[in-house]
Amino acid sequence: MEPVVDRLRTEYEGVVEFRLVNAETDAESQALATRFGLQYVPSFVFLDSDGTQRDLVVGEVSEEDLRAVLDSLQ
Amino acid sequence: MSRAKWILLAAGVVVIAAAAIALSSGSPQPGLVGNRDVEKLRAEGARIVDVRTAAEFTGAHIEGAENVPLSDIAAVASSWDRSIPVVLYCAVGDWSDTAAEILTSMGFERVYDLGGGIVQWDGALAGGAGATVASADVETNGMPVMYEFYTDW
Repeated sequence: MEPVVDRLRTEYEGVVEFRLVNAETDAESQALATRFGLQYVPSFVFLDSDGTQRDLVVGEVSEEDLRAVLDSLQ
Repeated sequence: MSRAKWILLAAGVVVIAAAAIALSSGSPQPGLVGNRDVEKLRAEGARIVDVRTAAEFTGAHIEGAENVPLSDIAAVASSWDRSIPVVLYCAVGDWSDTAAEILTSMGFERVYDLGGGIVQWDGALAGGAGATVASADVETNGMPVMYEFYTDW
């Protein structure tokens, strides 16, 4: 997923903030994963500008599908 | 309905209720378990084993767990009492699945594998900042956010 996410992060710079979280490095990351109820990696959580969760995608996802969700947030 | 049939019916209900209670409160069956099962097994004196690397364990781990990396599990576990239940976990459940196969092949009688690993654990954590973290606040900088949760492997 890394090349796809890197490409999209550049493309959506200033529009959508990308936050990459290693789910097992520390208590804070794990607490965040727990907060969103995640059980698998990779998982993608989408929030609107108010911080309200708008979507959750679990597992490998296509660039097209990621774009669709990202565009829906704007 | 005759009195005898009523007695039989009542006895049947009692037996079914007793079986249901025994199933709901008894020890989990070996294999995949969830968070609540871990607490039950811990109360029975189970060994909680984190099979990730030492660095990952130091970052954060389930409270009360011991660290035995997957690469060392066979050697370390050879001295353990095989009748004591063992709960294994890793990040998301792949390594612990392998560890469970190893322990089972070594003759351990009650081997449990925490499904989904520590990522989905909602109980107390230790390590890292030393804090028990139950929730985390999420703030935005005025624009939508996409989180990607990943691991290094």
